[in-house]
Amino acid sequence: MPPVIDKDKCKKCSKCVDICTEDVYFGTPKGGFPVITYPEACWYCNCCVNECPEGAVRLRIPLNMQLARK
Amino acid sequence: MNQTVHEADVLCVGGGIAGLMAAIRAAESGARVIVAEKGNALASGAGRAGNDHFQCYIPEAHGPDIKPFVQKLSSFRGQIRDRKVAQVWAETSGEIVKLWDSWGIPMKYKGEWEFAGHGFPGDKLDHLKYSGKNQKSVLHREALKRGVSIVNWVMITDLLREGDHVAGAIGLGTRDDTMMVFRAKTVILGTGFITRLYPSPINGRVANINFPMTLTGDGRIMAFRAGAELVGLDMPYKHQGPKYFARSGQATWVGVIKDAEGNPLGPFITKPNRRYGDPVLERYPALFEDVAASGKGPVYMDCTDISPEDYEYMIYFMEHEGYASFLKYMREEGIDLRKTPVEFGRYEIRINGGIYTNEKAETSLKGLYAAGDELFGGIANAAVFGWIAGENAAKSGAGRNADRADGFQSFIEERKAFIQSIKARDVGSDWREVNFALQQLMQDYAASVRSESVLTAGLTHLRRLREKARYSLIARNRWELVRSLEVLNLLDLGELVFVTALERKETRGGNIRRDYPVTNPMLDKSRLFVKNVDGKIVTEWREVKE
Repeated sequence: MPPVIDKDKCKKCSKCVDICTEDVYFGTPKGGFPVITYPEACWYCNCCVNECPEGAVRLRIPLNMQLARK
Repeated sequence: MNQTVHEADVLCVGGGIAGLMAAIRAAESGARVIVAEKGNALASGAGRAGNDHFQCYIPEAHGPDIKPFVQKLSSFRGQIRDRKVAQVWAETSGEIVKLWDSWGIPMKYKGEWEFAGHGFPGDKLDHLKYSGKNQKSVLHREALKRGVSIVNWVMITDLLREGDHVAGAIGLGTRDDTMMVFRAKTVILGTGFITRLYPSPINGRVANINFPMTLTGDGRIMAFRAGAELVGLDMPYKHQGPKYFARSGQATWVGVIKDAEGNPLGPFITKPNRRYGDPVLERYPALFEDVAASGKGPVYMDCTDISPEDYEYMIYFMEHEGYASFLKYMREEGIDLRKTPVEFGRYEIRINGGIYTNEKAETSLKGLYAAGDELFGGIANAAVFGWIAGENAAKSGAGRNADRADGFQSFIEERKAFIQSIKARDVGSDWREVNFALQQLMQDYAASVRSESVLTAGLTHLRRLREKARYSLIARNRWELVRSLEVLNLLDLGELVFVTALERKETRGGNIRRDYPVTNPMLDKSRLFVKNVDGKIVTEWREVKE
């Protein structure tokens, strides 16, 4: 799935949950670890990555988005 | 379902660049303003991750002759504009650029006005390179500073009309079971592009597309339903950029478009050039198809000859253009654009046409304004006409009486009952199923290559699909309910694409008619309008205003 949360770094502040306009983290309980409910909605805008004060979020690029190159 | 009522002088639907600029200006003009945003206005819309080019005219950089710039702004990717609209854009854009700079969005590069991209050698360049990574947070802050009230997590579904005047809108909470009623003297639509009408170029990934998947033409279709005119929905357009990474583009790349053997495919440049990128991409719509047919594909963007300074320049602007995830991916994979040519391809079909607006950002409906990608044009268009919409909406609403009767409750109850019917259903089609059915139909019957018989068959098919969808959609939660309502909007927009495409009996730009191969010069200055008249779809050809 696109956003991947490092559970050791995550402080459960929900900033990633609140910034995501596509609501990829829909249904995350208040004060809980972010739940990646709708990974297919991710647009790779990086907003949740930028928002996280702990550097706990990264985006994984799916295989069918790999760059075709020489 | 809870119901809440919100009152404002000006309601901005959508908190993207256009919506926030409109809100800022309307608030400055003395209006009480609400921005209703489907997601979070800090990170919504096409401009959320940043941008690096702003189409404008700056007299001290360009010289006193505004005419060539008005000329350039009069047409865009197969669409044409009224002369006055282009004139006002050119005249206002310089002020907006300076305003953004003063708010903390750096509009100069190394202290100078820097123009590059979307042009060719000898052309008047009008795309200002700027550092727009922070543009959304800056505009958000400026809106709050002026007392704008931002309501996040609400999908506006319908406009409210009082006689011939728009009097507000209703919307659905996207995270909780709420119906929100917004009563306003004027409404400004800024909901952005239509996505998810045509399939993603990447198999199985619904959101790996040129713009975010929550932009579903909500503004266009609610305007149409309320009686406003739409324009240009018949013309398909495909953007291009790194293949399989569809949230990208071309203009920031400093390289040469080449075939597999390394031969440049365009006549413009042979070495990477930061001023022009490679203009062949925009000047040759059939490039990818032709190269594939010639057996010399794939098509590569080759930056291997780039100078160290131009490489630094390109990466700097990619960061500001919103390529952060892409750049990180390249770093992690060890992909170095100085060593490796990257394949380029076209993305999904996009409909750039939308809500007709004049130079005051007025739609054809009283009290209704629209800006930004409601009618193609990118960030500069959104900024300039958002600003103009805000000013005019505040002014025209000032004389109106805000005390109106609650005459909308029966309509609201009807909408609630429909939403309830989706929620109550256990078995049926979820939003994905309906959306994929719509996408395959648009792709098979209304892609770039069209004919009357195929379009007619597709339209019949679409109407059957829509009828079924209305009575079979299911939603397991609020998120899926919102996607379902978006898909219903897309079905109505798809119908308008078919109806208008049938009326364009010629080949032009990306619109290839097998049964009408000639480009009809009599239509060079004409656009196709579409309107809802008492439940009937009515089309009309009209010349642009010179």
